[in-house]
Amino acid sequence: MKEKWKRFTDAVRQSSWRVRLSAVVMGSGQFLYKRYGKGLIYFLSEIAVIAYFIIRGGSDLAGFFTLGTVKGDAWLGTEGDNSVIMMLMGIFAWIVLAVFLLLYVSNLKDAWMSQKLDEAGREQPKFRRELAQLLDRKFYVTVLALPVLGVCIFNILPIVFMILIAFTNYGGAIVPPELVDWIGFSNFTKLVTLSQFAPTFFKILGWNLIWAAASTALNYFAGLGLALLLNKDCVKGKAIWRAFPILAYAIPGFITLVAFKFMFSYGGPINQLIVDAGGTAVGFLGLDAKWTARLIGLLVNCWISVPSIMLLATGHLSNRDMSLYEAAKIDGATPFQQFRKLTLPFMLFATTPVLLGQFIGNFNNFGIFYFLRGGLYVDGYFLASDTDLLINWLYNLSIDNNYYCIGAAISLVIFLITSMLSLIVYVKSPSYREEDTFQ
Amino acid sequence: MKKNMRFAKILDTGVTYLILAVVAFIFFFPCLWLILASFSASGSIYSFDGFFPSEYSLAAFQKLFTDTALYNYPKWFFNTLYIAAGSCVLSTFLTILTAYTMSRFTFRMRKPIMKTTMVLGMFPSFMSMTAVYLLMTQFGLINQRWGLILIYAAGAPMGYLTQKGFFDTIPRAIDEAAKIDGATNFQIFTKINLPLSKPIIVYTALTSFTWPWSDFILPKLLLKERDYYTVAVGLMGLDETEFARFAAGSVFIAVPIVILYFFLVRDMVNGMASGAVKG
Repeated sequence: MKEKWKRFTDAVRQSSWRVRLSAVVMGSGQFLYKRYGKGLIYFLSEIAVIAYFIIRGGSDLAGFFTLGTVKGDAWLGTEGDNSVIMMLMGIFAWIVLAVFLLLYVSNLKDAWMSQKLDEAGREQPKFRRELAQLLDRKFYVTVLALPVLGVCIFNILPIVFMILIAFTNYGGAIVPPELVDWIGFSNFTKLVTLSQFAPTFFKILGWNLIWAAASTALNYFAGLGLALLLNKDCVKGKAIWRAFPILAYAIPGFITLVAFKFMFSYGGPINQLIVDAGGTAVGFLGLDAKWTARLIGLLVNCWISVPSIMLLATGHLSNRDMSLYEAAKIDGATPFQQFRKLTLPFMLFATTPVLLGQFIGNFNNFGIFYFLRGGLYVDGYFLASDTDLLINWLYNLSIDNNYYCIGAAISLVIFLITSMLSLIVYVKSPSYREEDTFQ
Repeated sequence: MKKNMRFAKILDTGVTYLILAVVAFIFFFPCLWLILASFSASGSIYSFDGFFPSEYSLAAFQKLFTDTALYNYPKWFFNTLYIAAGSCVLSTFLTILTAYTMSRFTFRMRKPIMKTTMVLGMFPSFMSMTAVYLLMTQFGLINQRWGLILIYAAGAPMGYLTQKGFFDTIPRAIDEAAKIDGATNFQIFTKINLPLSKPIIVYTALTSFTWPWSDFILPKLLLKERDYYTVAVGLMGLDETEFARFAAGSVFIAVPIVILYFFLVRDMVNGMASGAVKG
């Protein structure tokens, strides 16, 4: 760090007036060293950025903080500020500013390099050569430009936007043309204290944690068990037995979920059989079917996820060191002991990342209850049902009922929980700590 | 003693097969139920005889493609095909290029980019959906099929790790030799590595085709007009009296995917296993 700083101060002291000029007029340094093409690009980009900030960028940056001051009035015919657009354009202006700073630094570095070359009496790089470099030494710049741009626009921008929304009062009655304001952390305090949200939030959070733990454990052990069973020597025709779970794995998830909803519905086949046997129809997924619905969700999720875990476990099982099992057999270990002491530790070690991914996937399993019991609002819950997970509640609040800011706050809570868990597992788990335990 | 052992072994085998049969039944039965339902003559789930239709015919399939006033299945099908094919081409292109670069080049931004994608991956994709929805509403991109293609394709390079793992296994000695002969990096990629990476391109293309093919969240969010629905969104709106139509529509869209999966199951497993290894 210190060395870098020294290099920087040295460069500032030793730089020629040409380099210093390009600190004010970008590209002028390159121009004076007869690198017209590159100099022109730097110069034009500076002009463009300055023009942007004069025309609208400056007011966009200001708008990012105020989120609008003039309220539209249909009677007077005044066109008000649209807070959401202002926030978006504000984020965009920040991005332009950041890119400009990067460009500015690269401009100075480039001019400084030109000075060095000049002092050494070497030739300046030709513009055409530099362009050709984009397909060779700097090929990665050319290639990554498009994906990085795409990820910035469609992944990072929405995430930043969502994080910012969590600190505003956007939503409910306050949507444009009403003005949105920054309100700090009060969405989060509302979530845990306000009687409108708090009881629902804690009930759903509790169920969400139970659900994630239970379904992950169930799926994992069922998948592992199935893989072990198929791995037995006495099983003939393994490919055929394996085809059934793969069939289930290949069917698009929404088809499976809607089909199971039909199966357990009031008029569905199971209720028909019950009625035929002289019973009365049961609302397995109905309004007051709390635990049956939860249990059905757990089992349906099992049906969907077990095959993928089975396939994965099969792959890992073939990587086991079989000599350990021979040794264990000679020492008189029972099959169960072999499983407890050899197979399980190895599998847990090999599949920790998958297990973590499964847990987070289940924690945010939107599909299951959206399809099985979608659109159901139960008493005692605010715009949610007793099977809904946080992600379902988030959907109900923000997409169906316009509570954008509360929804954004919930999504930040979900992110905190899942990222914290990932971090703990990364730090604690042996598959990250001791990479060579089983190698 | 010996006889006892043999008896235990037979019992063990028997129990194993019994469990396997039950498992196979559990996985197969709902599929069978759905397939048979698609051939039901009446259509409504209420006229079924327990699990199975009382009469069979091809009426449901016929209705699916001819009775398009309310449920325009052919239109939905082509929407799905259009979106899946479009995002397949774009995603494959972007993902392969990204993975190749991350595997072959060492540059200053490499580590930061890898770490950033890891953190971004921790935001469950659904969470930014509300923001995407708001953005798309602001920009008037609701009910635009190519808007969906853009979103799918833009997110695809984030899952580059599997493909990077593949490129890591292609020996660099070939690259070095070509470089000595004066090839640029662009030529090395197009002339040498691209022809070698056919399997991973096929794998990437298929996974990025099947995802939009069966996704329902994004289309449900962004396609509000009946005519722009994908099959997933359209089928979700069918109720119990249209059960046979739902079953027929599902079978029609699931069969190609199931066949693809059976051909690709080995690649899938390898992909999942290598994707699980930390980057």
